[in-house]
Amino acid sequence: MPNILIQFPMAAVFNEIPLSWFLTLSLIMFALGSLGVMIRKNPVVVFMCIELMLNAVNLSFLSFAAYPNAAVASQDPVQSAMSGQAMVMIVMAIAAAEVAVGLGIIMSIFRYRNQVDVDEMNTMRG
Amino acid sequence: MEQELFKNIWWVLALPVFGFLIQAFTGKIIIDNLGAKIGRRVMGALAVLPIVLSFGLASQITIALAKLPEEGRTQILTLFEWITVGNLSIPFELRVDALSMTMVLIITGIGSLIHLYATGYMAEEPDFPRFFTYLNLFVAAMLILVLGNNLALLFVGWEGVGVCSYLLIGFWYKDKANSFASNKAFIVNRVGDWGLTLGMFTLAFMAAIALGKDGVEPRWLSYDVLLPNAAAIASRFDPWMLTAACILLFIGAMGKSAQFPLYIWLPDAMAGPTPVSALIHAATMVTSGVFLLNRMSPFFALSPTAGAVVAIFGAITALLGALIAFGQTDIKKVLAFSTVSQLGYMFIACGVGAYWVGLFHVATHAFFKALLFLGSGAVIHAMSHNQDMRNYGKLLKYLPITGSTMLVGWMAIAGLPFLSGAFSKEEILINANGSPLTWYNIPIGTAVFWVALIVAGLTALYMSRMTYMTFFSGQERWRLIPAHGHADHHDEHHHDVHHEDNAHDDHHGPDVHNFFYTDAEMEARALATPYEHHHDLDENHEPHEVPPSMYIPLIALAFMSIIGGGWLFFGVNLSGWLHSAGVVVHEHGHHYSPMEFVKHSFENWIFYAATGMFLFGIGYGWFRYGKSLPEHDGMDTSKWHGWRKAAANHFGIDNAFTQGSIKGGSLLGQLSWGFDRIIVDGIVNATGLISKELGKLISGAQNGYVRSYALIMQLGIAALIIYFMYQMYTVSGGGN
Repeated sequence: MPNILIQFPMAAVFNEIPLSWFLTLSLIMFALGSLGVMIRKNPVVVFMCIELMLNAVNLSFLSFAAYPNAAVASQDPVQSAMSGQAMVMIVMAIAAAEVAVGLGIIMSIFRYRNQVDVDEMNTMRG
Repeated sequence: MEQELFKNIWWVLALPVFGFLIQAFTGKIIIDNLGAKIGRRVMGALAVLPIVLSFGLASQITIALAKLPEEGRTQILTLFEWITVGNLSIPFELRVDALSMTMVLIITGIGSLIHLYATGYMAEEPDFPRFFTYLNLFVAAMLILVLGNNLALLFVGWEGVGVCSYLLIGFWYKDKANSFASNKAFIVNRVGDWGLTLGMFTLAFMAAIALGKDGVEPRWLSYDVLLPNAAAIASRFDPWMLTAACILLFIGAMGKSAQFPLYIWLPDAMAGPTPVSALIHAATMVTSGVFLLNRMSPFFALSPTAGAVVAIFGAITALLGALIAFGQTDIKKVLAFSTVSQLGYMFIACGVGAYWVGLFHVATHAFFKALLFLGSGAVIHAMSHNQDMRNYGKLLKYLPITGSTMLVGWMAIAGLPFLSGAFSKEEILINANGSPLTWYNIPIGTAVFWVALIVAGLTALYMSRMTYMTFFSGQERWRLIPAHGHADHHDEHHHDVHHEDNAHDDHHGPDVHNFFYTDAEMEARALATPYEHHHDLDENHEPHEVPPSMYIPLIALAFMSIIGGGWLFFGVNLSGWLHSAGVVVHEHGHHYSPMEFVKHSFENWIFYAATGMFLFGIGYGWFRYGKSLPEHDGMDTSKWHGWRKAAANHFGIDNAFTQGSIKGGSLLGQLSWGFDRIIVDGIVNATGLISKELGKLISGAQNGYVRSYALIMQLGIAALIIYFMYQMYTVSGGGN
């Protein structure tokens, strides 16, 4: 069974960059994204931050897929590699749908109130 | 062949049921189509017929039963499965034996006579079919009570007769006094039913432990399994258990049979039409307590304490009823208290262990008390529905048939030797005196004997008072009532609230709450069925003898009052006859011939004592009431002796119980309301308040800022992740 993952053009990169770097990058992206969600007032920017968080997760999926766990890969390296990538496709599809819905909501809120500041939308306060 | 005959017992029960259905569903149609006069004739015939047929069939069955050998005189017909729970099966089964058939003959025999009488008495009643609907239903319920082969069926009949009694006491419901009387009867009976149900459950509990095992007879609540095992059941428990069961059953009997202190409903029950008083509140329903004690005698015989309680309450009731009767001026009230007193007599007999004598007195009392009640109804009928004896006098001249039959009844209840009442009364006295019943060294038997002997004298005296005031006593006192001045006269009868004539009053309005009819509807109703106008009793009144439909039953009952006692005693040999039904009879088998009995009587001092009491009663009665109405018992109640005023007022017992239960109930209500308000409401409100305050507290977290939600969510996820990582860290060996 050939290891197809190791054969793509930039395969050499993975021999030199350790997995922890990718994961660190993913962590930074996720932290920045969540920080943005919490501190920004413009819902569009909040959305972008959420996308950033999703993509941070996607990055970690892909990283784990590219650095197959020795125990799993030795049994079925193809499945090991493909499952991480398949998860990324699903996350992207859901993110796209979410953006479509979310932007629609933002648009209708704007039409209704002429502004979209998330801090002004607090009618659910207890 | 004979077995086939016994299977027909269900017809005895079914005929009154059919009669009831016919009356209920076709009565109105037939009377509307045939006109009031013919329609009522037809419906009257349809009401009497089922009871007469039932009586005929029951007589045939009883004769066949008597021909069987003594051991085989219990026939059981199972109609259908009724209740099946676990290893208990209670079928709907009828029991033909000496005890049940004796009661069936009393119920259907006297019942048919009273039905016949009622067709005459109620002839002007607009609600004619409704009356006979209830009356036929009553007979059916009473037959279930006595024919049922287990306590559950007895209870069905017990409640059935209670309902019919309620419906019939309040038959003229437009008068509130009648409705109150029926309510009182029903509510007081509930107290008794409480005892009866608890007694049944106690017995069922005991039987379940002793008999109710898997794989044995599942019908262990049926009499034919339960009663022969009475000793076996009782021996498995502390004696107090059986005593408690018996006393609870007796409380049930107290309610239905009007024993002190639950007798208070029976006098008020006289608000019902007189045939009802005769059938239900004198001859049959009120004796069902005595029937219950007879049926359960194998249990009662095992508990001397219960026997003593029964005898003591019987004696109290007998004495109290007799004393109160002296304070009554309403002829029906006198008879009502006489019934209370005589029922006490029956319970004295049951208490001292002579159960068959109790039932003997039930039978003879049914004859003469039904006769007296029907006679009083005839007198009331003849006297424009005025029930006050002080307005009567010398009526024998105007009512020869009614009067002479009532004299027979008077002699029978007062105890003229060798009439029916004397037989049973003397048997009660003999059995009480000879009873070894003691309780904590008090000779109960002897004590109740002396009470009973005194009551025998009092009975003769108050019955003489009633008879002399009605039929003799020198003057026709209604002649003293001015023709138009009766209004003031009525005011004097303030204690006499139950006028029978309310259904006939033209001016009688609807009730104030407009519950039944409006004024206009009432008038339309009165026009649609015109009543014969009843003029009030005054000096111009001429009493007339009643029609044949009313005096034929009187003659039949008078005949039975004369020979009934001797016939049951010598002809039937009631003690042996009831013994075959499982009733506990001491010294049975001793059967006198009439001559032997007479000889034996004249050797017994009790016979002389009872006869002396009889002579005292009628003699002293004649001295007091024979010539004229004495002043101390006259129209002006302020001239009455203190004790008579007290007796008229039931010695305050009725008021004490009624007020006591109302006040006590009210207090109990207040207490439980307080408990509800403070504790129950407190708990409910506290639950709400806690949720509310807690919600207020937590709702601060819902500040409406999306960012803070996000922060909390992320902190939560972070905490979870840290927790799981720590778990993995420890599972993997703490990093080592």
